[in-house]
Amino acid sequence: MMLRSIWALALATSIGGTLWAQSDSSSAAEDDFSQYDNLGFVDAGAKRFCSPKIEGLSPAKLISLGYDYQGAYNLSAGTLFNGTTELAAAEDAQVNATQGLRVGFNIPVISKTNLVWQMGANYWNTQYQYATLPTAASNPLHQTLSEHGLRTTGVNTTVFKPLDRKNFLLFQGSADLSGTYGIEFMPAQYLRYSAALIYGRRPTEKKQWGLGLARTYRVGEINYIPVVLYNSTDALNKWGAEVLFPARAHVRRTINPRNMLFAGYELEGQSYRLWRDPASNFDLRNEDLEIRRGEARFRMVYEFSLKDFMWLSIQAGYRLQYRYDVDRLVDGVEIYRAFGLLRDDAYAQTNGLGNPLYFNVSLNLVSP
Amino acid sequence: MLRKLSLWAASALIAVTSLNFELQESPGDRLIGVWEPSNGRSRIKIDKIGTKYYGRVVWLIEPNDPETNLPKTDKNNPDAALKNVPLKGYRMLKDFVYQTDGTWSEGTIYDPLNGSTYNCVIKMKDKNTLDIRGYIGVQALGRTDVWKRLATAPAKK
Repeated sequence: MMLRSIWALALATSIGGTLWAQSDSSSAAEDDFSQYDNLGFVDAGAKRFCSPKIEGLSPAKLISLGYDYQGAYNLSAGTLFNGTTELAAAEDAQVNATQGLRVGFNIPVISKTNLVWQMGANYWNTQYQYATLPTAASNPLHQTLSEHGLRTTGVNTTVFKPLDRKNFLLFQGSADLSGTYGIEFMPAQYLRYSAALIYGRRPTEKKQWGLGLARTYRVGEINYIPVVLYNSTDALNKWGAEVLFPARAHVRRTINPRNMLFAGYELEGQSYRLWRDPASNFDLRNEDLEIRRGEARFRMVYEFSLKDFMWLSIQAGYRLQYRYDVDRLVDGVEIYRAFGLLRDDAYAQTNGLGNPLYFNVSLNLVSP
Repeated sequence: MLRKLSLWAASALIAVTSLNFELQESPGDRLIGVWEPSNGRSRIKIDKIGTKYYGRVVWLIEPNDPETNLPKTDKNNPDAALKNVPLKGYRMLKDFVYQTDGTWSEGTIYDPLNGSTYNCVIKMKDKNTLDIRGYIGVQALGRTDVWKRLATAPAKK
């Protein structure tokens, strides 16, 4: 009798357990997918918004650790003037290599349907390896580049605001400290701000375009220029374009979503505050000088997934100098020339660089 | 006799209680339904199997592969054996467990556009809105998408 009772208890327990284990809210009838063709939102007021990305676009980089290397070239440092006074004579020098670390972070802060906000930071270090080390008698540009190189440390932000399913606003801003510092010689007044505001449309899932205005140092000195955004992917997801003109433009060949090849160019530029050890015989710090570096990099880029979200990017190309002149701040304020339309002040030093081949390799953690 | 009755009563109570648990909706079951990601290109039906929640693709705005004109398959899956599996019906949300803090976690989300699987946590902002956060290792390294609940009856035109 006791045995029967135990069996009953076991049976009752197993019935409950079986029911629990077999719980499945789906059903075979759901294989008729046509029932999902014509559904509306439960919330009558819910709106659809366009997303920041289009289909097939190369993945955004959350963390990037890279190395940049330029081959040998001649660096002609011009005569350094203060007004009409000659401070240092012109001098050519051979640079065997220019290389350094490039680190970047980009973290989504807000990621909602109606607002995407990202914050980032970057650090670039560029060291100049001279064939013959400059001496105290050399042109001060050679001395400071050889001793300190150039560095940029900055923060940036991107805000994507969709207006509806087709229209959006995009804002990108950055603040950079660039120079031959010593952070103690880079007070906030030397922060250089760049920004762009773009109104865009996303007519399909595979195309977006936009027009806007940018404040930029891409050609070395401050400028206000129109910008054009254009990203697209063809119907077969094989070819595409990723363009933010004039900053960069690339044609994309998608081998598969984990292997992409690009051909195009990018403009790189910044204003670098010059400084040299005040104990030396030529204190550039007191001269209030900045290098206006602007260059175009024509290149091929291959990006591929090493494993899951870890991507390697390899680029090689030709670095074409546009400007590497030294400008003198007037009472700490930079000159806005508007490509010579507004002002045509002479540079304190006009320099010329040879144009070497370069390569860049970076390891990247890409965004979902 | 009394002892025998007690045992039967206990058995019945366990059975009924188990059944009750089964019929009673768990707070986590709010997740069950049909949802649309923010890009509007697909619809995902979330179901409960056992104690976990799963979501599968039930609708695609572009159901056919433009290259082959055949129904889309999971051709970007890094596992060659899965490249021919149809995308419609594909389980892209897997193994979500409802937590006491009101989230669904311990699951993964699969992105058929690039064949990657991410850690994922789901939060319900309101009964018809989900924050789906796919991330890599830690939640800071991720992206949130907002999904909206769809009425399971056809919408009025």
